[in-house]
Amino acid sequence: MKTILSSDTMDIPDGVKIKVNAKVIEVEGPRGKLSRNFKHLNLDFQLTTDEETGKKKLKVDAWFGSRKTTASIRTALSHVSNLIKGVTQGYRYKMRFVYAHFPINASISGNGKAIEIRNFLGEKKVRKVDMLDGVSIVRSEKVKDELVLDGNDIELVSRSAALINQKCHVKNKDIRKFLDGIYVSEKGAIAVEE
Amino acid sequence: MPFKRYVEIGRVALVNYGKDYGKLVVIVDVIDQNRALVDSPDMVRSQMNFKRLSLTDIKIDIKRSPKKKTLVAAMEAADVKGKWEKSSWGRKLIVQKRRAALNDFDRFKLMLAKIKRAGVVRQELAKLKKETPV
Repeated sequence: MKTILSSDTMDIPDGVKIKVNAKVIEVEGPRGKLSRNFKHLNLDFQLTTDEETGKKKLKVDAWFGSRKTTASIRTALSHVSNLIKGVTQGYRYKMRFVYAHFPINASISGNGKAIEIRNFLGEKKVRKVDMLDGVSIVRSEKVKDELVLDGNDIELVSRSAALINQKCHVKNKDIRKFLDGIYVSEKGAIAVEE
Repeated sequence: MPFKRYVEIGRVALVNYGKDYGKLVVIVDVIDQNRALVDSPDMVRSQMNFKRLSLTDIKIDIKRSPKKKTLVAAMEAADVKGKWEKSSWGRKLIVQKRRAALNDFDRFKLMLAKIKRAGVVRQELAKLKKETPV
């Protein structure tokens, strides 16, 4: 059945400048600029200034939508709120090395743009992972065997973490016993200084 | 970008296909997702597909399915005919009808009038060109 109109709104906090044009959303804030293209969705995006409170709101409508298009309204809003959070607070993903016998040897090259992993499970193979655009990686001092990935775009930061994780899968062994790898331990924001 | 003309009870629409082509009708009730009950002072109340209607900016204040008398009174009160004939869309349609109804003698007169107007414009343009040295 087609629902005549389903819509949802979200508040836009004060520190960000947002531009909506033809289903391309651009967000600008203290940490930089991000943009996202929603042309694959059949939704109407509309920026309104609220009645008397002066706050900006983003309104998303779906006219005559099926169940799936109605569901995509809230995911679009979630993506926009991730953009806003990335541009104000940033994203920090922490990963820990887990090993039983062979210490994982990681070195960061290219001033935080690539990581080389040696001696994973004693293997001679050197694994090199390039970080995606805008993501920087650093070996945490103070905490043993930890990597910290920083960036503005949650998609890029989380994908870089996944690339590192996937490079360190164990092959041809019982993975319940050989638990080695580099795993995401914490997903949070950079700079929560209030 | 957001929609401004909504399908609602009281919305005036123009019929753009079918037997009643070119008439202004009022949406009096909505039957289902595709059809509406429309009415006009000079037609029997009937159902029409939304695809046959083009919505206008004009809206009148009526309740759902009013009697013919109240509908006509509401249309007079809102001056639908006057608003339509003043609007640019309405005026364009009137001009189109007039042009379609010309006979050969009228077209001849029109041609002469156009030539005369173009001549006056060209004279003014020549004067302006002479004044400002290019």
